[in-house]
Amino acid sequence: MERPGGKGQSVDLLVEAFRKGKPGAFEAIVRAHQDRVYSFCARMLSDREDALDAAQEVFLSAWRNLAGFRGEAALSTWLLRIAANRCLNRIRRRKSLSEREAPWPESPGEEGEGIIFQPAADETERPDRLAETCEMGEILTEALSRLDPGSRWMVLLSDVEGFSYEEIATLAEVPVGTVKSRLHRARMAMRRLLSPVA
Amino acid sequence: MDTMDCTQARNLLSEYQDGALDAEAVAALTAHLRGCGECAGSADSLLTVREQLRSLPHDPAPPELLARVLAAVEAEDRDARAGSTAGGADATRPFLSRFRFPLEAAAAVLLFASVYWYQRTSTPPVRPPSAPTARAPEATPPVDIPPEASSSTANVTPPAIRLPRGNPKTAKKEEAPAAAKPRAWTAADLPSVPAILASTNSERIVPVAPGPGPTIYPGRPGAPAYGERGSADAEGGADSRLSRSFAPPPSRLLRPLPYGRDIVVDVKPESREGVEERIAGAALRLGGIFERFDRGPGEAIPGAPGTVRVILPEAAAARFLEEMGRIGSIPPEGTPASTDLPAGPRPGTVAYAVHIRVR
Repeated sequence: MERPGGKGQSVDLLVEAFRKGKPGAFEAIVRAHQDRVYSFCARMLSDREDALDAAQEVFLSAWRNLAGFRGEAALSTWLLRIAANRCLNRIRRRKSLSEREAPWPESPGEEGEGIIFQPAADETERPDRLAETCEMGEILTEALSRLDPGSRWMVLLSDVEGFSYEEIATLAEVPVGTVKSRLHRARMAMRRLLSPVA
Repeated sequence: MDTMDCTQARNLLSEYQDGALDAEAVAALTAHLRGCGECAGSADSLLTVREQLRSLPHDPAPPELLARVLAAVEAEDRDARAGSTAGGADATRPFLSRFRFPLEAAAAVLLFASVYWYQRTSTPPVRPPSAPTARAPEATPPVDIPPEASSSTANVTPPAIRLPRGNPKTAKKEEAPAAAKPRAWTAADLPSVPAILASTNSERIVPVAPGPGPTIYPGRPGAPAYGERGSADAEGGADSRLSRSFAPPPSRLLRPLPYGRDIVVDVKPESREGVEERIAGAALRLGGIFERFDRGPGEAIPGAPGTVRVILPEAAAARFLEEMGRIGSIPPEGTPASTDLPAGPRPGTVAYAVHIRVR
């Protein structure tokens, strides 16, 4: 599994080539990162077209701002930060347009915390039933989509992309302690969702 | 020894698996997990979920993503290049919207300043002639109005006069030569004034053809009279063209008056009778016209104040003031400084209201 910064050296070379105006440099950057960015967007947005649009926006924003990229983090980390912001903006816009993804009313959960995932609307869509026909990846993706978007992107960045607590706290502009507690609740929710198949 | 309950232990599972707990918390949690099967099961299942998430593969991006990104970048690059050449995005903007605010403001200020400067320079204020007391008395002998002339306005017979005509800007330069080429002017040559209906306190006196009289505008022998063009000028001589080729047209808005528009004459009560007629006679002799009398409220009362309105050639203004000084005394406030009226009589003429005060 490729971690952020794992290809830092080669990416840095690509960024340098792009800054020098070498033809094809930006295309190489897109090719190197499009799967990761698109996957993140698709899991965040649960919609292929939305994910395509968001990924396109991410790379276009990167093309505009690569000159100011200082290399303090790996290019993949930088791109995923942009992707997280874009996806959250889209989710907020989507929420404002319709209340389909309105947060569930706060109520004490199993562990005295608010519900941070959306229960399946239909019993047949529960992950344990889906496990009979779906691959594990699809089950995980489905379980992720049941999480609240505010927690989903933290799980994706932390457990899928390998971001640290501090990186996520910086990106979310919240204290590290908040990131820890929200991640813990989201993971426990994932555990409950996946317990029949995990 | 287990010092932790299940709730505390489960709340620390994530950080424990992330390696974010300190040694003391790790020891306490490990001791609890060793003795609590349920919490140990939760820890195992949580670890499994996290390992599965960590091994979640990246979905391959659709092929159209790369094409769309490259197309969008190319379009934006093309727009940026177009914007940096040929005026950039301004080239496609409407004409007026291309101007930035500072440029517009500068242009507006420059335009205003240009128009203001042009307006100011196109009508230089008429400098009043030298003060009446400073004029050479020998140039124009004093004109005394015969007593019989002041008895009735119908008997006023204006002397021969020469009415200056032509461009008022050249009046001062051209007024002197009148003596060499005398020309008699009649009322028909006077500037037209609006007809005013005769009333109990106003009347209009139209001058008749004057007889021989004093020359008002003595000047250089051989030079053309005021308002008349000399031979070179009439023939389109070079001097005239040079002096006028760049002259702006006279302003239609401002009319110069050498002494303001009001003149106050103080007269003694015993001299009050017939003052209007004397003023009218003086105006007629100087080539002007006597427009009307405005007597004061006590019209029937001898010695009441009154006003006489006259229109004169511009060059005769100083002489007229001199005449007024003979009729009565002019207080300091009676001769205001020259002014440019926003409206007034025809160019080359001045109009005054002579206020008669009894002192």
